[in-house]
Amino acid sequence: MGPAVTVRVRDAHVYYRVYEDPVPGLKQIFAQGRARRRYRTIRALRGVSLDLHESETLGLIGANGAGKTTLLSAMTGLLPLESGTILGRCRPSLLGVSSALRPALSGRRNILIGGLALGFTKAEISSRADEIIDFSGLRDAIDRPMRTYSSGMRARLHFAIATARIPDILLIDEALAVGDEDFRRRSAQRIDEIRSAAGSVVLGTHVMDEIERHCDRVVWLDDGVLKAVGEPGEVVAAYLASTAPR
Amino acid sequence: MSDRDQQLHDLTRPPSSASYLQEAWNRREFAILVPAQDLRAQNMGTVLGQLWHIANPALLVGVYFLIFGVVIDTSRGVENFLGFLIVGVVLFHLTQRVVQDAAVCISRNLGLIRSVQFPRILLPAATLNGQTAAFVPALVLAMVAVVATGERPSMRWLALPAVLAAQFLFNFGAALLVARIGASLSDLQQLLPHLFRLLFYASGVIFSVEAFVTSPAWRRAFALNPIYDVITCARWCLVGELADGWVVAGLLAWCIALPVIGFVVFHRSEQRLGA
Repeated sequence: MGPAVTVRVRDAHVYYRVYEDPVPGLKQIFAQGRARRRYRTIRALRGVSLDLHESETLGLIGANGAGKTTLLSAMTGLLPLESGTILGRCRPSLLGVSSALRPALSGRRNILIGGLALGFTKAEISSRADEIIDFSGLRDAIDRPMRTYSSGMRARLHFAIATARIPDILLIDEALAVGDEDFRRRSAQRIDEIRSAAGSVVLGTHVMDEIERHCDRVVWLDDGVLKAVGEPGEVVAAYLASTAPR
Repeated sequence: MSDRDQQLHDLTRPPSSASYLQEAWNRREFAILVPAQDLRAQNMGTVLGQLWHIANPALLVGVYFLIFGVVIDTSRGVENFLGFLIVGVVLFHLTQRVVQDAAVCISRNLGLIRSVQFPRILLPAATLNGQTAAFVPALVLAMVAVVATGERPSMRWLALPAVLAAQFLFNFGAALLVARIGASLSDLQQLLPHLFRLLFYASGVIFSVEAFVTSPAWRRAFALNPIYDVITCARWCLVGELADGWVVAGLLAWCIALPVIGFVVFHRSEQRLGA
């Protein structure tokens, strides 16, 4: 018997209905008579099945638009599926708190907002605020409006808020790539903590260094389907070979 | 399947209604403190800063004071027209702000909805709380204006909190309904200003319906309009206008029915909100 499953994705399909806005040539205008609104269904995920295990860090790679972000959102169970199932032993946390934060307000006030969005009480946030600020390494900038932060500083704050309570299952979407060496070390530490507590981490990234540094197993997503699952070395090599100029 | 795998549960299934309301209540701080932060952020870059929360309603009341109190005299059979007008404008404004904000509260927070699990009812509730808090200075100024135009506090003022509570409930129901519709139909945002322009006249904000509509049947028809009911009851409290039983019954019916309808509509398809 292998390690216990923490999240089980079965035959997940996610479609988006989007409005296309082509620039019609004269010919099309004459042919169609008038401009017509065109809706197209984007099949972002087309039957993905995946098991995530205890004490595992899973890498998620693939070209832009391959469906990485969609898969991570779907794993939280919050993105409506066209079909398929998502089972889990608890709800995974996606590092998505950034969308709740207000750029005009200071980092400190955003810790309150982000914490409330994650389900903390005000008292819990106050008692953890120092810890969050220390982990983010932003003590000098914490009372400045967040819009004055660099992208790396914002990523630090997001990560610090989102992992203020160490989650059982953490989904990371490109959050670490903009950080400096110090931040990478801190985030690697958090990932190890989750793993040693029998949790799971999924790391969606384009930085192959990170995959090799953290991951036990890698999934290659291509145009909404799993193209390969396996050892990081092999999958990364196959992925890189497919993107190499011919 | 091993024993341990059987602990897995379906993450896409919605929570039950009872635990939903319990959870929403447990997380009420979100719906109170986040809009408070937003109100602070609103005027951050301005010279007056947080003073705008008082200056803005003061200007609203002041402009009506200037035009209808000084420039033109249009009492039209209303004893204290200025007080009558300001009470109407301020209360109408509150419902309008709540509803227009609620129409975009889902689309504005889509990123949050897609990444964090929380009872989505907190978003329209936060909208309601924020706008209601922003309304308090306007209400105080309206009461000052009412006294300044010659009214004296009376026992009727004691009924005002009940009228405002009814409006709060009605606004909550309207916010839930509009938030749900606005989430799937963004056209609503364009329609609402026109709907409110229409309601502005249908609610007798700047004229007395009593003075214009003589047929009792038509007056009863006005009682179907919840905003007219709120304004008329508040005027009964503050400036001694008439409010008949139809208006009170209309207000009661709306403030009970709409939150229930709003909740059912909002909660029913909540799981699809992230789409």
